[in-house]
Amino acid sequence: MTRSRITVADVPALLAGAEFFSTSAAGEGIEFAGFWLEDILAQTGPVELVTADELDPDTFCAAVGAMGSTIAMAELPPSGQEPVLLARSLAERFGGPLGAVMPLNAASVNALNPVAAAALLGLPLIDCDGMGRVFPLIHQTTYELAGLSLSPLAIVSAGHDSLLLDTGSVRAEHIARSIAQAAGGWLLCAMYPTRAGRLGEAAIHGSVSRTLEVGRLLSGHASAGGRTPESAGARTPDSAGDSSWSGLTPGQADGDPLWFSPGPPYGHPGDDGWPWRGAPPHERLLRDLAKATGATSLGGGRVVEIGPSVRQAGTVYPGNPMGMVVHDHDSGRLIRLEAHNELVLALADGALTAAVPDLLCLLDRGTLRMTGPERLTVGDQVDVLCVPAAPVWHSGPGLGLGGPGAFGFPLRHPRQESR
Amino acid sequence: MKRAGRPAEQLTVEELVRYGPLGHAEMLVGENLARPVSRVALISELDQVRRCGPGTAVVLSSALAQGAWAVESALRLAWERSAACLVSPAIIGLNQATAQLARRMRLPVFVVTGDTAVCALDLAAAIASPEAARARLAARCAELFAERSNARGIVGVINSEVPGVAAALVAPDGHVLAGQSSADRAEHRIRVDVPGPDGRRWADLVAALAGPPSPTWAETVHLILRLARGPLAASVARERVDAVHDAERGRAALRAVFAAAGSEPGQVAHEGPAARGHGTGANGGNREEPLRGAAHGQQTVGGGENEEETVSERALGWRVTGRHIAVFLRSDTTLDPTATGPGVISAWQEVFPDLPLVPWDTGWAGWWTGEEVTVEQVASALRRNLTRMRSPIPLSGGVGRVADGAGGLRESLSQAMLAAGVTVREGHGTVRSFDELGFRVLLASLSQAELVGSARMVLADLLAAPDGPVLVTTLAALLDCSNSTSQAAARLGVHRNTVLGRVERIRARGIDPDRPDQRLALHLACYALLPEVS
Repeated sequence: MTRSRITVADVPALLAGAEFFSTSAAGEGIEFAGFWLEDILAQTGPVELVTADELDPDTFCAAVGAMGSTIAMAELPPSGQEPVLLARSLAERFGGPLGAVMPLNAASVNALNPVAAAALLGLPLIDCDGMGRVFPLIHQTTYELAGLSLSPLAIVSAGHDSLLLDTGSVRAEHIARSIAQAAGGWLLCAMYPTRAGRLGEAAIHGSVSRTLEVGRLLSGHASAGGRTPESAGARTPDSAGDSSWSGLTPGQADGDPLWFSPGPPYGHPGDDGWPWRGAPPHERLLRDLAKATGATSLGGGRVVEIGPSVRQAGTVYPGNPMGMVVHDHDSGRLIRLEAHNELVLALADGALTAAVPDLLCLLDRGTLRMTGPERLTVGDQVDVLCVPAAPVWHSGPGLGLGGPGAFGFPLRHPRQESR
Repeated sequence: MKRAGRPAEQLTVEELVRYGPLGHAEMLVGENLARPVSRVALISELDQVRRCGPGTAVVLSSALAQGAWAVESALRLAWERSAACLVSPAIIGLNQATAQLARRMRLPVFVVTGDTAVCALDLAAAIASPEAARARLAARCAELFAERSNARGIVGVINSEVPGVAAALVAPDGHVLAGQSSADRAEHRIRVDVPGPDGRRWADLVAALAGPPSPTWAETVHLILRLARGPLAASVARERVDAVHDAERGRAALRAVFAAAGSEPGQVAHEGPAARGHGTGANGGNREEPLRGAAHGQQTVGGGENEEETVSERALGWRVTGRHIAVFLRSDTTLDPTATGPGVISAWQEVFPDLPLVPWDTGWAGWWTGEEVTVEQVASALRRNLTRMRSPIPLSGGVGRVADGAGGLRESLSQAMLAAGVTVREGHGTVRSFDELGFRVLLASLSQAELVGSARMVLADLLAAPDGPVLVTTLAALLDCSNSTSQAAARLGVHRNTVLGRVERIRARGIDPDRPDQRLALHLACYALLPEVS
């Protein structure tokens, strides 16, 4: 079997996918990490992407991810020594070196950090993650649900302060966040040290592949403009489903970060020269995303209201709550979205239709890029998507750790309502 | 907070807005207000809304309202359960989108700034005894009615205390006496008649409602209107007494002014302009005589007139010094001037708020004062406004000449009275000036009863004819036109042959218009009878 690799050419797709799974709000400003990763991969060569099954069950591995502020990380980027310091801390503690790296979450900037870590450490990256999306707290993971211990938590700051924290998951989160504030705004962490054989039930498998697949889809549509995704070189979900994308060479995907360019404004059905008669491009993209991720569209139309929301009682999350309302063009329904770093829940005409841990995201109809409340103004046209979370998140403990209640909303998840 | 009552007695959301508990809340959405409210539920968890029955007023506690999402979730659940309305604390982010959703669901939403628990308690108290709530509103209005002394104030109480209602006091002819003029044009109205001091219908009190009222709300508004009737009738009586008092005061003051200046206009009227010669440009010097007389009177009375002028100017705002033109209004009706006087004066004040009008003799005296004012201007202004005036009786007016001082005013008024006597024959709204009429003003005196009786006697044969009144009119026209039948026909608007035929019939009754010795007496007799035959 041909092993998959992540090359420099895959970085743009990885970035686009990382933005999609960041639930709209947390994916902003991560472009810097793309350039950083491209530099690393150009020096180290591709990173080997393996499934947990392909490794020796005794392989020592740990989840790598950053916590803190993405903006702080962009201003004070990692030097490249951080993963080495983390690996050293864990190796000294466990008496043996790391054998593989797994992502904490294959979304937002943390879709790129484990790839960089694996590249710098010369280790394989396990195609899995512990969230399947972005959660604000490092212990909101399927690893936690499966009973893996978050600590000892190895952390390293922008100033290369290194610490191995041995405590409970919730305290580790609290303490690490304080350290992040004091030490430059962000920390790179290695946590959930375990053996590859224990990842069977504990991880969401195929996460990295999925992020790349969705990213490729988005890049194709965004860059296509007047061209079809096929003619723009983007792969359709059907042909991408076999993971053969890893054989792509830079030439095949042009190696350009195509999705950075907003592309020409799309036309309308019936316009002269419009090649996709009958369906606006955003509808084609939605259809493709639905095929690739199982996403459903909650509706789409004009943003009619956006602004601060009331802070939920008893929450420990960083950031400020926001609320926005989208007027669904077709049904006339009002879709209210509540965001707290990420989009947390969606109410259609007052009825809860989607909530965490399912992933909510917004597609800008104009640019065909994922967008979020902080980038939108009243009058923008968006589509609201809901991507179902991994099944383990819909269990009782899963909803307890990552459901609406965990975000301070006294609401039952729609799946609980239907039970 | 439950209440088991007869549905008919349940308050509607609209009534809860009117009677207090929700009256102080901001109404985010006012749809579907006619729904009855059966109970109140104070909600601290969203799931509690699921247990609310139809007709519940759902009040969200402060603990629950954590954002617009919570209010909208509650709104949705309340709508699914047919709740009557939703009351939310004021929170950040609760604005247009939430209102839009509530409008889609046609569910009234209210926002209160204080503690919603207090609002829930107030609502529960109101719902527990609807009659008490209605009685409280009526009692509040009755209390305020008693404190107001005029119709405007009383109608104002309804407009300010009974929200959603626009009230007006409307005269039988549709004129709005007080309140909001739009009330009488509204689609949904409640009307009660208001009696005058004599107990007869004097005006209507009309309340306009924003939409079709519930039976109970209509009943409440009707009760409040009936409560206002008594105070309104009392205020009307008081205004009438005041008006009569003011009129008498004005009459006395004017009499005093004239007395100080010389004899009263009633006396000089009998002297007539002919006695002093009718002033034209040529013998205008004659006009000066009464003015000199007045000046002489001033000297005679000495400080007396100055004192009266001072009193009049101070108490009534009159200017009796300077240059005046008097007008006199009168009517040919036989109605009691005491009853019609306040109406006439009030109508006058509507069109001439700054000019005096005083009951005088058989009509009302007024005057313009100013250095530049002319008879033509006054006649024109009076003519224009006499038709606009909402006078209870038809009026016509005479205008005197320009004159100076109190004595001059007296003289001018005498002239105006004579001119007005002529206008009575010519119909409602007619205005003539003394100069314009010339010697014909003398004929105004011919309506005296004694002369009329004699005229009726001497022309008895003519009047006995089947077309007696027509023949009298024709005879008068013929004499006016020096027996020219063609001119008389033109004046009467008939063919000359018709006039010839009538003249034949007149002669057949033993009347010869050509006899010089009879001609003056015949002409006078015709003029004396004209008012009653025309």
